[in-house]
Amino acid sequence: MITAERKPLSEIKEMIAPYKKILVAGCGSCVAECASGGEKEVGLLASALRMDAKMEGRRIEVNEITLDRQCVYEFIDQLTGLVGQFDAILSLGCGAGVQALADVFAGVIILPALNTTFIGQTKEAGLWIENCRACGDCKLGYFAAVCPITRCAKGLFNGPCGGSKDGKCETDPDAPCAWQLIIERLDKAGRLDLLQNVYPPADWSKQQGKGPRKIHREDQSI
Amino acid sequence: MDQKSAGLNITIFFCQQLDANQDANRRVLERELGSRIKFFPLPCSGRIEPLHLLRALETGADKVYLIICPEGACRYHEGNLRARKRLAFAQGLIEEIGLEPQRLELIQAIQGDQLTINERAREFLARETDFGPNPAKNSVERIADSVQKA
Amino acid sequence: MKTDSRLKRVLEKGHFAVTAECGPPKGADPKVIKSKGKILKGFVDSVNVTDNQTGVVRLSSLAACVLLKKEGLDPVLQMTTRDRNRIALQSDILGASALGIRNVLCLSGDHQSFGNQPQAKGVFDVDSVQLIQLVRQMRDNGVILGGDKLSEPPRLFIGAVANPFADPFAYRAIRLGKKVAAGAEFIQTQCIYNLTRFNEWMDKVRDLGLDEKVYILGGITPLKSARMAEFMSKQVAGMDVPDEIINRMKSIPAREQRQEGLKIAIETIQALKEAQGVHGVHIMAIEWEEAVPQLIEAAKLFPRPQV
Repeated sequence: MITAERKPLSEIKEMIAPYKKILVAGCGSCVAECASGGEKEVGLLASALRMDAKMEGRRIEVNEITLDRQCVYEFIDQLTGLVGQFDAILSLGCGAGVQALADVFAGVIILPALNTTFIGQTKEAGLWIENCRACGDCKLGYFAAVCPITRCAKGLFNGPCGGSKDGKCETDPDAPCAWQLIIERLDKAGRLDLLQNVYPPADWSKQQGKGPRKIHREDQSI
Repeated sequence: MDQKSAGLNITIFFCQQLDANQDANRRVLERELGSRIKFFPLPCSGRIEPLHLLRALETGADKVYLIICPEGACRYHEGNLRARKRLAFAQGLIEEIGLEPQRLELIQAIQGDQLTINERAREFLARETDFGPNPAKNSVERIADSVQKA
Repeated sequence: MKTDSRLKRVLEKGHFAVTAECGPPKGADPKVIKSKGKILKGFVDSVNVTDNQTGVVRLSSLAACVLLKKEGLDPVLQMTTRDRNRIALQSDILGASALGIRNVLCLSGDHQSFGNQPQAKGVFDVDSVQLIQLVRQMRDNGVILGGDKLSEPPRLFIGAVANPFADPFAYRAIRLGKKVAAGAEFIQTQCIYNLTRFNEWMDKVRDLGLDEKVYILGGITPLKSARMAEFMSKQVAGMDVPDEIINRMKSIPAREQRQEGLKIAIETIQALKEAQGVHGVHIMAIEWEEAVPQLIEAAKLFPRPQV
């Protein structure tokens, strides 16, 4: 899933400062799962913004809505006819959601309330960890399903570096060394032989070759 | 300034396990004080959401209490621990808008005390506070509901 | 053809090699490098120039190597993969060779979060093992990544680093094997204070027959004080300073600790001279280059052989 965190209120306030009627729009997908942009968070932010305005003696109107998905037209369409009533839409979608709204409603001010952070896993309640960089060329099969691009601070294909100590990464004593994990798991799986390979440099063109990537599936087109 | 003399509005969220007769007991005070006091019994304080606390402040409370059961007494094991974290989160948020975090207060009941919910509430009402009315509360109808939820 | 790399000639002739590290200044002044070079000249076979070590911006390694070369030293160009992508790395390798640099040391580099530019984008387009392979292909096959032919291959003696003290310990010798398979010809190790662990690692290295395929230079950093020993033990990633070394330094009055640090270094060099499969030492006297000649003489590594 895509994870995100709310921006500091001061930054949000600065963005919305010129506008009087604001629609806070959440997304019920990934950002709801990571408790940053779902219905509850929409309510919290809208409430905080209204109270803040009240305290400062500003008159603003802040309304709330949460779409099931902000990155798919069929769901965005629920805003059609509504957006015209507002000066700005404050989106609690991920970066994809914010941009999708702006694509659909050209000329409408769409502002991000979240910092989209990473593709990750819900490790436990309240804990999310990054584990995929969407490199476009998955090599997890060689690395015991531990992504070295994401989980090694240096992204080494032939690690670990000299900073691995007691199973931890030198950059963060709380973070496990990805290569320690890889070696342990390969050992358990009886595939330590994979460690002998010298893995060639990654093909980053699959990630950032010619600007934004796209997937076009003829069979899925209408 | 005294909450009673200042006429502050208080809202009390509480674990209903604390007072077997809470339903009848709180009504006594509700009749007496009218809209100045609002009670929200929770089946477990762990059910509290930061949103409830913010909405309470936004819609008229000057001070909000969350009463949780004694340490180790939660019938759902960790409900009261969760409640503590949720309140702390909401405090952080109101601090961001410049509201005193003390407007949200956690009260942990003490093991063995048999206070009824109205006795507790009277004790709150008699307390001193170092702040006046909540400057963030809205007197008008909540406008949020004017938008259809998707 | 006789190689221009003095380090390579010394090692190939079977001499116990001595290299020293030289950290470029945090400024554009060439005099600092030149004076460090003057101190070391004649006492070491090669001078190894760090590449923005610990992620701190300094005068470039390549520029410093050229300055040292002009002073008559044989420089080793350190190249980290932290700051340059494959285009820049390959270009700098060609440039270094054209400027007469004959040794390169390939490493991933300290993570940028440790330095004075923690907000920098760490490049890590390739890793250290891949860089070794890439330089080797450029030199031996005259091709760059992707197969394009070079008009003239670079002439470089290729080195890499190894840390016998990092974890997982059992894998450390295997990883050295990977670097050798990728094409490394000489290896510099992390600073050695824990000889027991170093010897355990060397046992595995010898078991794999790696000591016969690559020249291993043991890392030596003379301690200046008990405080430095404690700092390195606790604060520097990948460093193993055992308590007995720290206690030994602590037992000496502060003003004599530098001498004790040198004594420990001399003892370590003696042990390395006797270790089978160790082909030299690499001295990293951090901001203490003036101690190097004294250390080399005391360890009976002077005069250096004529090769």
